[in-house]
Amino acid sequence: MRTNRSLRGKVAIVGIGQSPSGRVPGRSPLDLTADATLKALADAGMDKSEIDGVLTGNAFASSFHRFSIALSEYLNIQPSYSNTLQVSGATAGAAINTAAAAIHAGLADTVLVACGDSLLTGMTPDMAIRAMTESRDQQYEMPFGIPVANTFAMTAQRHMKEYGTTSEQLAQVAVTFREHARRTPGAQKTEPITIDDVLNSKMVTTPYHKLDCSLISDGAAALILTSAERAREYTNEPVYILGGGEFYSHEHIFLMPDLTQTGAVQSAQKAYDMAGISADDIDVAGIYDCFTGTVIMMLEDLGFCKKGEGGAFVESGQITYGGKIPTNTHGGMLSYAHPGIPAAWFHFIEVVRQLRGSCGERQVAGAEHGLVHTLGAGFSTQATTILGTQSTL
Amino acid sequence: MNSQLIEKPLPIADGDSEAFWEGIKTGKLLLQHCCECNHVQYYQQRICRQCQSENLQHRAASGRGTIHSYSVVYRAPGPAFKLDVPYAVLLIDLEEGPRMISSLVGKDFDALDFDIPVKLKTVQIADDSYLPCFELVTE
Repeated sequence: MRTNRSLRGKVAIVGIGQSPSGRVPGRSPLDLTADATLKALADAGMDKSEIDGVLTGNAFASSFHRFSIALSEYLNIQPSYSNTLQVSGATAGAAINTAAAAIHAGLADTVLVACGDSLLTGMTPDMAIRAMTESRDQQYEMPFGIPVANTFAMTAQRHMKEYGTTSEQLAQVAVTFREHARRTPGAQKTEPITIDDVLNSKMVTTPYHKLDCSLISDGAAALILTSAERAREYTNEPVYILGGGEFYSHEHIFLMPDLTQTGAVQSAQKAYDMAGISADDIDVAGIYDCFTGTVIMMLEDLGFCKKGEGGAFVESGQITYGGKIPTNTHGGMLSYAHPGIPAAWFHFIEVVRQLRGSCGERQVAGAEHGLVHTLGAGFSTQATTILGTQSTL
Repeated sequence: MNSQLIEKPLPIADGDSEAFWEGIKTGKLLLQHCCECNHVQYYQQRICRQCQSENLQHRAASGRGTIHSYSVVYRAPGPAFKLDVPYAVLLIDLEEGPRMISSLVGKDFDALDFDIPVKLKTVQIADDSYLPCFELVTE
């Protein structure tokens, strides 16, 4: 029997910071991550000596196997709790959930959750893609020339076949996030694009054109979490973890139970149950957008619309201001930045900013409940986190 | 450019998959049939994925299947595949049940579709290395 233990409202995000992102030459992944960390500490008004836990992902442009340990040394801190998580694109959500659990369980008081990489200038584009592809099975997948992009592509193809999702609907995701990025300081891509621009950009792997694919960037981001009891020492606007859920359904794309329905259904349900709310209550979302079609499938699996209706949902303006669920208001990985594993950290930072009410012209009025969903490895890994303002407790 | 960077990833057998890759060299796609629960699996492992029995038997697949999904790759995933693009990667539903990743023999992309029949064709990719690829079944 499952217990119903919950960390709802027990832990809060009290500091956020990010390094310059986009094209940032001459700076190592550790340097970028330390930069983001110092900004997060400043945001929280906290001294680094307060941090006793460090969780990170790994960096492709760094040779460290234990990035969290290397980062601690770089910052000259000696945490009593640390790990380098490795669940591909879901690492951001998994790290936030795990940090919250560790704090709630007493393993740490204050946890730094940070990640940085220099995919754009720290390595050649071919090396960056190769780094991604090496995460696929070397016997049953890679010899056929199937990098992770193709696994996502094949799920999108099947979604189009089963539900009539169109290339134009996929393209609308990129167009919408580009519009969002235009209002975000520091976004890598800000020139407006049209559906035709997406459809006329070079084909990468059907159905995905270049503009259906996330960027390649440098950059780092950091968040600092502490217990709800201590949160108000650092900020007047703590953003609380209301629920977390994860799901890991397969390793190989050929063992994915259903190409058009993912483990996000389960991860989200668990997070909603813990938070005691449903998709209808969410005001703003950050959804992992490695490809345009990924967002359409996630809108369905996270419960924002019915299965098969994601394309029409996006087409009718539901993922931008005035729609049902403004999503990736910073521009996402398609337009803001995609430094690899750190990319989804920016989704967290944007949703925290929305819940603090500090997004300026990007602000979703009155946002109280936010959701961040991160995923990776051809929908193998899924992590959902639900965040809320003080008023949601 | 470092020559290692342009070498293709060849399947390197491990303890679970030695017989499978030996079979491919002789044109046979060996599936694991569970003698306890009749489950059939493609990914080679010592235990049945359904009932955990170790009583598994290799049987050659018929080689017939259908395309569950596909993608035509135009941007090579690294230098090793630059000379191959465009090529089509396939998710094949084998007649015996399991699904597998493969690639299309040839470049007749216009003929690609969902749920159409394909048949196994092993392709030599290095001196001692073969891959289970598929070709379209033409009338």
